[in-house]
Amino acid sequence: MTKGILVDIPKCIGCGSCTVACKLWNQVDFDDRYPSSGKEAVLSDKNWTIIVSCEVIDKESRPAWRFIKQQCLHCQQPACVSACFSKALQKNSDGAVVYYPHLCVGCRYCMVACPFDIPRYEWDKTFPLVTKCQMCSIRISQGEAPVCVMVCPTGAIEFDERDSLLKKAQAKMNKDSNYIRGIYGEKEVGGTGWLYISDIAFDQLGFKTNLGSDSLPIYSHNYLKYIPGIAVIWGMVLTVLYYYSKRKKELLTKNQELEDSSDNKQEKEVIREKSFETSKDKHN
Amino acid sequence: MGIFTEKTSTLSRRKFFKLLGGIGMTGAAASISGCTTEAVGGKGWIPGQYQVPGNWPVKVKGRIPIDPQNPSIVRDDQKCILCGQCLDVCEKVQTVYGYYDLPIKKDITCVHCGQCALWCPTASIKERDDIQSVLRVLDDSNMHVIIQTAPATRVSLGEEFGLPPGSIVEGQQVAALKKLGFDSVFDTNFSADITILEEAAELLNRLEQSNILPQFTSCCPGWVKFCEYYYPDLLSHLSSVKSPQQILGALAKTYYSERVGIAPENIVSVAVMPCTAKKFECQRPEMNSAGRIIGNPRIRDVDFILTTRELASLMKLRKIDLNGLDNEAYDQLMGESSGAGVIFGATGGVMEAAVRSLYFLVSKQRPPEQLLELNAVRGLDGVKEAEVIIPGKGSLKVAVCHGLKNARMILEKVRAGNSPWSFIEFMGCAGGCIGGGGQPRTSLASADEVRRARMASLYNLDGRVYRKRASFENQKVQNLYKEYLGHPGSELAETLLHTHYIDRAKDLTIRKK
Repeated sequence: MTKGILVDIPKCIGCGSCTVACKLWNQVDFDDRYPSSGKEAVLSDKNWTIIVSCEVIDKESRPAWRFIKQQCLHCQQPACVSACFSKALQKNSDGAVVYYPHLCVGCRYCMVACPFDIPRYEWDKTFPLVTKCQMCSIRISQGEAPVCVMVCPTGAIEFDERDSLLKKAQAKMNKDSNYIRGIYGEKEVGGTGWLYISDIAFDQLGFKTNLGSDSLPIYSHNYLKYIPGIAVIWGMVLTVLYYYSKRKKELLTKNQELEDSSDNKQEKEVIREKSFETSKDKHN
Repeated sequence: MGIFTEKTSTLSRRKFFKLLGGIGMTGAAASISGCTTEAVGGKGWIPGQYQVPGNWPVKVKGRIPIDPQNPSIVRDDQKCILCGQCLDVCEKVQTVYGYYDLPIKKDITCVHCGQCALWCPTASIKERDDIQSVLRVLDDSNMHVIIQTAPATRVSLGEEFGLPPGSIVEGQQVAALKKLGFDSVFDTNFSADITILEEAAELLNRLEQSNILPQFTSCCPGWVKFCEYYYPDLLSHLSSVKSPQQILGALAKTYYSERVGIAPENIVSVAVMPCTAKKFECQRPEMNSAGRIIGNPRIRDVDFILTTRELASLMKLRKIDLNGLDNEAYDQLMGESSGAGVIFGATGGVMEAAVRSLYFLVSKQRPPEQLLELNAVRGLDGVKEAEVIIPGKGSLKVAVCHGLKNARMILEKVRAGNSPWSFIEFMGCAGGCIGGGGQPRTSLASADEVRRARMASLYNLDGRVYRKRASFENQKVQNLYKEYLGHPGSELAETLLHTHYIDRAKDLTIRKK
């Protein structure tokens, strides 16, 4: 059921339609400081997706342009979701990692957790939120493709079931020897919803290739999984300690009271005697 | 009284809370009533009404790629609505986009015709703005700024000032340019006459030696780059004569510079063109022939190009209303023009002008009336053919096409070796220069009525207004050859008026059919 998107990097001509479509659909403003396509394109709170122009050396060892689409990769096991304690980031069953602003407390753990450095924060706002690509989750839920896919004039971006996209990508690589072997996103950090195939090595195009194939939540899960057990045992220990100290305290107070009551008797007798004497004096 | 003042000046705790409450209420009311910078429909992650954000266009198709370094056209992302008009015109009319294989190389294929700018309904795509550069040189008192006006702008500039399409504003345009502060105003028609004389001489040469025929015209820079990209094997067919713009630019910094005694370094050459590709053409590295002659290769023949639209903006910026101006005449040295020069602006015009001159070159006689009204090559048909009888040369088959899709049909025939023609005119834009990418926008991008009106005015100028109808009759051009260049094809003419072309096939992978 998990949906995915396949980017065929050699087919991208860098027109930037996807970046404009993203802004139009999601109603995000333009920001002159941060271009959304070109050499200086950067992700920002207003650029959920960008097209970065990359000058590379192609197979014929001539300089060539390649254009890299950057956005949230919608990991299969997203680190941001596992880092978010307020459930503001959730993974849908259709594959989209969606941000729910009304649940967000603004801690920005997701930004630290993301291995691809994707989420951005609205630093300019009084009440900022985190922003990132939502994979047009509303459209996906209605059976439509995300807008960037829909608008791409060359068909460089494809939307489908992730499994069939993997097969398609394999078929493309088998058919055309210009592609380098390997699909970026197939295994990276446990697999991502967005997949890339390219004719140029991924590290030359600015992809992070050293992320490993383990999903990031696994790392913390290895020790965090003991926490419930530890919590129960710790609770039990504390309960025992509580009852132990409670009983000890009760015993102590009981003894005290016993001692106190015997002291009081003696005191009362003395007072009675004294009062008896004074009354006698009065009579006299 | 004293007590009263004291009371109002102190802010009591009660008043402070009242103030805060008031501000809060105003803010809440403002945000409820919609006084917010957020767009209607909320953020993307909040589903809008019908779960479609309010400003999402009904139909999206994407857009063409534009290199940020493109010398001719730029795009403003904020205005783009992804309607796909640019894709349509680039692919279906000009056959540029979609005719190369992916991946691309280090070049975003573009012939700079600017048709996308004309079709763009939101003016997201427009010409690269040279207004500021021109204003800077106009304000510089050390600089002698000359300007030339293309044939086609005199029948379209009026549209920017509320006149009907095709209004002839030749005299007012000159007056406006003088008022803007240009030191000399020249007519590109003048150099169009030179182009024709050189091109007819070249054709005659080719006919006599019967090598590499047909000859292609070379005055449209969009077409020239198209040929360099897609048909580099046919580059030898291209006439080596420069476009009228570049000829006048080269002459301005040599011939004119000598006549008026101003150093070429201090002359700035500007051109008003109906074209965005001219911005690319003037930046071609080889277009510095005047500079090469002088020994300072950094000097460009033409420094800045203003499109018709830019000239209108410039005039409006300086508060000049075209309608309120009286006619003025072009400056003398390079201002005379013939009817043959002015019809360069319409498809078929170059051919007609060339035929008139060829007839004269061969027979030394004025062409007959039917050659002066060569109706077969006029009009908006995509490909037009004609057969003209030149005494001593027999019948000459010529073809005219406009719009690069039509050019492909002809070029395929030439490539296959079965073209019956001797001379072919190519124009990149539909209708020729009058439909150029720098012309005033029309309510409908492909409005043929507007094109017809502009063309009719050009032929009107040729037939009724100008006294001379053939290039060889241009007295100033004759003077130029007599006093400066010698004769068509002389060594100096070769340097100043001719150019060469570059094989650009290595910049793209041409799609196989």
